[in-house]
Amino acid sequence: MIKIILDRKEPSEAEVRAHQDFNQILAAHLYQQKVNNPWRYWYYLSITCVMLMLV
Amino acid sequence: MPLQLSLQQQSFLQEEEKTQIERAQKDPRFFAPLYERYYDAIFRYVYRRVDEEEQAYDITSSVFVKALQSLPKFEYRGLPFSAWLFRIAKSELYQSFRDQKSKRTVSIENVVVQQVVEEWTDTYSEQDKARLLNALKQLKEQQLQLVEMRFFEKRSFKEIGDICGMSENNAKVKTFRAVLKLKSIFHQKE
Repeated sequence: MIKIILDRKEPSEAEVRAHQDFNQILAAHLYQQKVNNPWRYWYYLSITCVMLMLV
Repeated sequence: MPLQLSLQQQSFLQEEEKTQIERAQKDPRFFAPLYERYYDAIFRYVYRRVDEEEQAYDITSSVFVKALQSLPKFEYRGLPFSAWLFRIAKSELYQSFRDQKSKRTVSIENVVVQQVVEEWTDTYSEQDKARLLNALKQLKEQQLQLVEMRFFEKRSFKEIGDICGMSENNAKVKTFRAVLKLKSIFHQKE
């Protein structure tokens, strides 16, 4: 069901700007990148295997 | 008075934006100026469509995280960067409605409602106003979006087309049909 709001007060430019935080966005992006990296699990395993083989 | 930019200034700004995008594609830290430029517009687009302010801030944040993730795939093909962001905002909004995290809301100014009613009936009463609001609720989602963007947000057909993924002419035709539909629902219950 759609809700209709008449003459809704919009936050001022300053209020909106106060919510801006690029560092937070960047941190979330870098975290997502890390989580989505398929090598995340294999990296340490393959390094360990290589080390073992070398030994 | 709206800021009128000459064609030369517009192309200069486009070139500058293109450079900023290319830099941000190589290093996400350079996305900051684009984020600063479009945050307000994207927030207001989202805010008018959800019932809670905090939810609007959350959705706006996820729009920019998604934009950063998809930025390497972004290519200039005549579509303005802002329209690309609005498309992401639209998709995030609908995801939020599907997850029932927020409620589909339409924010309208009373003056606009009065103008429309007076244009269609020559008079204005609270009953007519209620009838128009009720008619809006009966439109299909895409029709509602077009009416919303054109009449409540005063966007150009070019911009509407860019956001909705259709040509300017198609946006014009579909908006016209949506208004006809709204008008017929409005008069049906007379």
